Amino acid sequence: MNRVRRRNESAWLLPNDGTRENHRLRQEMRRFDNQEEVDLVVIGCGAGGGILTQRLARRGWKVVTFDAGPFWNPDRDWVSDEAGSHHLYWTDPRVISGGDPVALGSNNSGRGVGGSMVHFAGYVPRFHPSDFHTFSHDGVGADWPINYIDLKRHYEDMEEELPAAGQYWPWGDPHSYPQSPHPISGNGMVFVRGCENLGIDVRIGPVAIVNGRFGNRSHCIYRGFCVQGCKVNAKASPLITHVPDALAHGAEIRADSMVTRIDIGVDGRALGVTYIHEGVEHRQRARSVAVAGYSIETPRLLLNSACERFPEGLCNEFDQVGRYVMVQGAPQTAGRYQDEVRAYKAPPPEASSEVFYETDPSKSYKRGFSLQCVSPLPIVFAEHVAAQGHWGVTLREYMRDYVHWATFGALCEFLPLPENRVTLAEETDRNGLRVANFSYTMGDNDHALVKAATKVMTDIHQAAGAEEVITIDRYAHLVGGCRMAIDERSGVVDENLRSFAIPNLFVTDGSVLPTQGSANPALTIMALASRAADYLDTANRAYV
Amino acid sequence: MEITPGSAEPRFPGFDVLDQAHTWDSVTAGLVLGRLSPVQPLRFFSPEEEPTARALVDRLLAQDDDPKIPVLEVIDLRLLERQGDGYRYENMPEDWEAWRRSVSGLDADARVATGRPFWDIETTEQMRIVEAVHELDDDWHGMPAVRVFSLWLRYACTAFYSHPWAFSEIGFGGPAYPRGYKNLGLNRRENWEVAERDAKDPIPWVKRVEQARQRHADALPGAVSERGIDSSPAQDGQGSAAGLEASDGDART
Repeated sequence: MNRVRRRNESAWLLPNDGTRENHRLRQEMRRFDNQEEVDLVVIGCGAGGGILTQRLARRGWKVVTFDAGPFWNPDRDWVSDEAGSHHLYWTDPRVISGGDPVALGSNNSGRGVGGSMVHFAGYVPRFHPSDFHTFSHDGVGADWPINYIDLKRHYEDMEEELPAAGQYWPWGDPHSYPQSPHPISGNGMVFVRGCENLGIDVRIGPVAIVNGRFGNRSHCIYRGFCVQGCKVNAKASPLITHVPDALAHGAEIRADSMVTRIDIGVDGRALGVTYIHEGVEHRQRARSVAVAGYSIETPRLLLNSACERFPEGLCNEFDQVGRYVMVQGAPQTAGRYQDEVRAYKAPPPEASSEVFYETDPSKSYKRGFSLQCVSPLPIVFAEHVAAQGHWGVTLREYMRDYVHWATFGALCEFLPLPENRVTLAEETDRNGLRVANFSYTMGDNDHALVKAATKVMTDIHQAAGAEEVITIDRYAHLVGGCRMAIDERSGVVDENLRSFAIPNLFVTDGSVLPTQGSANPALTIMALASRAADYLDTANRAYV
Repeated sequence: MEITPGSAEPRFPGFDVLDQAHTWDSVTAGLVLGRLSPVQPLRFFSPEEEPTARALVDRLLAQDDDPKIPVLEVIDLRLLERQGDGYRYENMPEDWEAWRRSVSGLDADARVATGRPFWDIETTEQMRIVEAVHELDDDWHGMPAVRVFSLWLRYACTAFYSHPWAFSEIGFGGPAYPRGYKNLGLNRRENWEVAERDAKDPIPWVKRVEQARQRHADALPGAVSERGIDSSPAQDGQGSAAGLEASDGDART
């Protein structure tokens, strides 16, 4: 634990008196002048931007990190309530289109310091070594310009800093977790029982939820509202895992500030950013800029920053910005049990299986899916019921039976396609900036994966004794849009997340992922940001 | 004494989630208890639109009897504040526009069928018109019917299942901070959680849901869908997220 503290003191900087925010740290936060050329501006304080900020502030960089949303105080701003958590999502206007338009907002966006990890469920699996070369090995997807081994140390560091809890992990690169697995609830028990009856290997975890004490972070109280923001400070998000340490090392977090443009000089380098705070436009000068706005806003900002030098948008000379955006197919299957499950008790992430993660040569499809338990609260469970075509009396009757249902989810590795992309729509937001249009259409392999995953989840429910099984088709997570590649004709950034086009412009968020595996992306995004920070500090400080 | 919406016998007799309000943090308590406040007059929907909008959400949630959870008032405020969910389908108008067009569309359909506006016809006739939109695989008054129906249910369910009376109806423990839960696992309750009525000799789920489907079907003379008269619950039900996309809750993993 001391080793972790020497690297990142965040958990020890939080209060230990039952409140959740270190007010003094925020009041005394360093504030830079707009005219001062800081070392780095980071745009977006989520899984990518938050980690980059902490890592470089600790190494003495002058960092200003912008977030369009608030600097959350869990005591004051978050509630133990589903409908009351609407403000955690990015709900500015966006257009969705294509053959299979993907709903945005609550499902896959964040707003405010901590980003979407504020309301992610908490699963933090690593990618498998095979994820980094699916094109050479499986003939689908893309090869990354780095390998698993390049990220391994950063995975380990992040698992310690979150910290992650779970059983020994036998899949991918086998590894253990710093904290032991949490007890499981009725939902998890049903999942484990069904898997065991079918001989499907299953493990508890991995979740970024404190099990025991960690610094001044509290033990989980099994309240079940992980996806509404953790008021306990038990579930990890950069707001509590990295931002406190960043502030203590002199970083400035400039919240409620929407960056509207990256400013480019006559020499083609980034000069800083233009942003709007309380309706007034300002500029911040910087020696380098890192964009971490995630798969929709990052491409949108690069495109909206078009200038004389880069008329098609920044880093877009080869029409790569906004392409290869991916979502995971995420069908969820609920089963009705005679037992009372009361799935709302305990965190929704409990147990998972990666047995079906890799390509199985005996199947007609490539790559695979992971299985996890999820525990929808009533409003989301109503979506499950409504998706069966029920409304009126029947919907109410299913809902009255809520305590009897257990729910599992799959994450299917949908493949990257160039035409699944973010472009600018004609309509504008309240700042006059063109909004994003995200077009998405599934491919044949994607459909086959959803079908296979649904079949397995249905089998598990039946093996566990379910009386009725219902499935809702949906999507989860977003990655891609500014992928890393070996050259500017096939991607936007290089292996160190530096853009090919502008030497002092970086992209450090989920949009750089060339493929997505069937793992939840948060840990990988954090690990990539941690790796980019090492690169920036050691190799390139003089250069940028 | 617990209040649950409608006059049905409660499924969890004696379970009132409000008995737990003293264990809630003050921010959450303020929000959730606020949902019990007297309702304000509508501001988004006009007096002319109100009765039809009200009839629609009552039919969607089978709120036929008092006491009713105020659903339209919550929807009205969201639409007034332009509080969308963060996306718009390319072939759909903004949510607020879609709701207005829904109300006028329902009135138009009702006038064609009966010569009267939607709110002024029998509830069974109203249900028939709603079911027709549900079943339509095409545009409805210039909007894809599947998206329109999903929009209605998404807004209606978010409002209904955020109300403490609905929590009590379904046996949901409601806000849980800073109290949390101690008794995890199958058939394990906190000392304040309540068993279902007839827990020892339950009407089988299959029979109960069949009765509900039958009630629904009985209210739809001449417009009975295949779904409505299934003789048993589907073993391999497969729905689509198009049924009700990302609402305020989240099924994220």
